[in-house]
Amino acid sequence: MYRQGDVLVMPIQREDLPSGLVLAPRDRHNRMVLALGEATGHAHVVTGERVALLCRPDDPDRLFLLIEGYGRVGHEEHGPIALAAGAYRVIRQREYFPGAIRPVSD
Amino acid sequence: MIGDIELAARSDEWLEVGLCCKPTDRPGAEQGVRLAYQAAGLAPPQRVLWCGSPMAAARAVATLDNPGASVRPQVRTRAWATARQALMQELGVTDFARHWIATTRRPWQQLVDQIVTPLRNRLNAHFASEGGELAQACQQALLDVILGHHDAAWLAAFDDSQPGLAGLRHVARSAGWWWAFENVAVLTDRYVEVHRDNLGRLHRGDGPALSYPDGYGIHSWRGMPIPAEVAAELATLTVQRIQAEDNAELRRVMLEHFGFERYLRESGATKQHADDYGTLWRVDIPGDEPLVMVEVINATAEPDGTWRTYFLRVPPDTSTAREGVAWTFGLSEQEYSPTQQT
Repeated sequence: MYRQGDVLVMPIQREDLPSGLVLAPRDRHNRMVLALGEATGHAHVVTGERVALLCRPDDPDRLFLLIEGYGRVGHEEHGPIALAAGAYRVIRQREYFPGAIRPVSD
Repeated sequence: MIGDIELAARSDEWLEVGLCCKPTDRPGAEQGVRLAYQAAGLAPPQRVLWCGSPMAAARAVATLDNPGASVRPQVRTRAWATARQALMQELGVTDFARHWIATTRRPWQQLVDQIVTPLRNRLNAHFASEGGELAQACQQALLDVILGHHDAAWLAAFDDSQPGLAGLRHVARSAGWWWAFENVAVLTDRYVEVHRDNLGRLHRGDGPALSYPDGYGIHSWRGMPIPAEVAAELATLTVQRIQAEDNAELRRVMLEHFGFERYLRESGATKQHADDYGTLWRVDIPGDEPLVMVEVINATAEPDGTWRTYFLRVPPDTSTAREGVAWTFGLSEQEYSPTQQT
């Protein structure tokens, strides 16, 4: 598994990908965005060959990657991470807050 | 079918509409109101009343003289349902679902979840604490609001080919929340300032995070609303003051503003555990659960070659640094083993 700042990319078995996945919508620059900072505009972006960023249409915040070729995750403030072919789950970091659990953003 | 780039551009554009702090375009909004009534098959309202904030507008709505019935169902809800139905028929269920998230996911999260909900809660709490018949009528008024600029959250899904939405789009691009009655429409100006953190939560330490032209505003720290008196105190906090605060929620806001790292240093925290993943710190807070934090070194060096550390709060029963970091990703200590970190 790989961590880039507040995003963890965790390998899973292909058969563990949920059913009914669709291609997650790209952003206006045609990028596949794993997480976006609202204030900084910085983003964890995946690129590569035969890479699909997927989600269920009813749960767009749970993202998965299916890489048939190779992938690369980039971010303005963190070093790049290379991803081999396979299936992955994308996990956003969270923080404990008494009475609630809140996402973290870098 | 429209491509992702165009849908994303539309989503961004409507989010900007919802966050816009430019002066209200009152004539434009009034024209939008007339169009919206017309699309609903209604005569335009005889009167239009302007207010400087949702707070002032709720009071105005509660005391209106002969407004007639609310026409929100016809003007807003029916128009939305009709447009939604037409789009679903055009795209089919699956493509509609994808279209919906491509256009509305971010505006909805950023406008409705991060701004409308806390603002509504704050207004309701204010009227609830005021008590009495008038305050109750103000709370009632909030149930009938049309969100104006915040309707951008769902208007993003539709293009100009939906004629029934033209009026609502017009108001959204021109003004804030509004109310539609048979005889009168009550409109509010947009906010003049909105301050958000990197997750889009209302957030400001030295003034209101959201403010309206008539002076109404709400103070908020990382999405948590705080009274103005507490906001004013944030700059001069001490460990003693934080510990003396009776209200647990406010104490937590103070703690965050003060800085976990500084609080750990100044309150005599103990190092509970250290491993390759970081350092686990613990400090007891009188009358509250202990503050347990994992200190992590940023995996990428700063431009000047130094390494920044940061603190993440974890559940109080955490016993190792690795367990703490694993928890922040929803994993167990055994599951968490990154092979590369940047």
